[in-house]
Amino acid sequence: MRFTLPPGPPVTFKARLHDARTATAIGRWLGLAMAVCFATGVLSHYLQHPPGWLADRLPSRPYWGYRLTQGLHVASGIAAVPLLLAKLWAVYPRLFAWPPVRSLRHALERISVAVLVAAALFELFTGLLNTFQWYPWPFNFVPVHYAVAWLLLGALLLHVAVQWPLIRDHFTRRSPGTLALPAADGPDRRQLLLGVTAAVGAVTLTTAGQSVTALGALELFGPRSPSHGAQGLPVNRTAAAARITPASLADWRLTVHGPRPYTLTLEELRAMPQHDVTLPIACVEGWSKSAHWTGVRVRDLLERAGGGADARARVVSLEAAGAYRVMEMGRLYAQDPLTLLALRLNGEELSLDHGYPARIIAPNRPGVLQTKWVGRLEAA
Amino acid sequence: MNFRHVTGGLGLACAAWGGWLLLQQPEPWRIAVWLGGAVAVHDGFIAPLVFAVAALAAAAGLRLRGVPRAALIVAGSLTAIALPALLRPGGTANPTVLPLDYLRNWLLAMAAIALFTVVHAALHAALRALTRRADRGA
Ligand code: HEM
Repeated sequence: MRFTLPPGPPVTFKARLHDARTATAIGRWLGLAMAVCFATGVLSHYLQHPPGWLADRLPSRPYWGYRLTQGLHVASGIAAVPLLLAKLWAVYPRLFAWPPVRSLRHALERISVAVLVAAALFELFTGLLNTFQWYPWPFNFVPVHYAVAWLLLGALLLHVAVQWPLIRDHFTRRSPGTLALPAADGPDRRQLLLGVTAAVGAVTLTTAGQSVTALGALELFGPRSPSHGAQGLPVNRTAAAARITPASLADWRLTVHGPRPYTLTLEELRAMPQHDVTLPIACVEGWSKSAHWTGVRVRDLLERAGGGADARARVVSLEAAGAYRVMEMGRLYAQDPLTLLALRLNGEELSLDHGYPARIIAPNRPGVLQTKWVGRLEAA
Repeated sequence: MNFRHVTGGLGLACAAWGGWLLLQQPEPWRIAVWLGGAVAVHDGFIAPLVFAVAALAAAAGLRLRGVPRAALIVAGSLTAIALPALLRPGGTANPTVLPLDYLRNWLLAMAAIALFTVVHAALHAALRALTRRADRGA
């Protein structure tokens, strides 16, 4: 028996606006959102896991840098949700292109489009769920989200290269391809794009409060809220989760290693010169909140241990286990006068969940590296 | 060599790098299932649902254009980003994770969008009736 292709596709679409102008107009914004998402994501990846050659070159300024870039990462990812759905709506009829495969080249093109759509949906889905601390998948989020980001960037560049003639011909309202489309679709398309714009605005305004404190009143759907949390600051890892109890801290001492090692009691730390800084906690999950911190400069502690003016630091938490129990701090962070071993938060002694008796607060760094319950500091 | 070849080549290189990174993961086929699953759920469920809603509306004589369509886009988008908070099972790590009343907020947002749409349609109809009467009077 010979298989013959039916003469037409199984589904046909009568609706308007499934055209290259709509795909280009939405694609431009989607491409921009994806580019911002990729750039800020790679930056965050290297801030969090710097390779050896980079560790001492990572800048500690601007102090708000990571707050901005990671806030943008999550915001551009959220903004991409309506854009991606609208884009896929615009091109959905092409899924039923007939015949399904015309040539080898066409087959490869379709495979690359499948990879693009898969990677785009996957990144937005896993990223969004991660901000809600929901991990239903059987793989490790960080390396997989990172790998698929490269897959997505690659497939997107390829997509733009393949579609370039159409993109160019429909880039503006007055491009030749746009003018060749039914003129009556113009106002309808503008209304559609206005609706998509409104959706981008709505998802942004109702979530941005998690990182832009001034927008807190509009926050409806952010997974964190700046107005929730002891001492005015949300918490990620609690003392209970880290197995830290008041009893386990009863005879706490800070040990500082280096050419001239020493130990300090909390009283002795409090007797050292104290400094006040205003720095944000900026979580890799996108939320952030500024706070006032008081404590001892890390560089003063390192210097007293005989660490030179270019000493870097290793910080060890008292928590029993955890991916970030031991934290490496590059030279520029360790020597920044804003980097503190903080004892107080917003005018009060640190609460246990915020890292009592002492925690790190440094500028321009992901929150997981702001080590809590510090027990040991090493000048290196 | 032109802009398209350079961009396409760069794209292939980045995608290959990403694919290679994925293959370094334990059990990469599990990741492939989730990648394919995302496409299957979108193309096989979410998109047909949207087209079915449009077809039903058309069958009922409703033209989904202008503000009502924009309202549906906004409502759908807000629902998409609110769903994780609404559906997430299990407790949270601490009370500062998911501290808001997401169900209430979602209902509020949907009600606000519906109200806006209805008021807009009513104003529009009233305006049209007024201009028609004015036209007739003239
Ligand atoms: C994550 C990002 C993107 C995704 C997932 C995506 C998805 C798609 C899909 C599935 C198609 C249909 C392909 C086919 O014919 O089989 C398509 C077509 C198209 N895309 Fe994209 N796209 C993205 C970004 C972009 C960008 C950044 C632009 C340009 C600014 C763009 C412009 C176009 C154009 C012009 C078409 C052709 C539409 C037609 O033939 O009527 N896309 N896109």
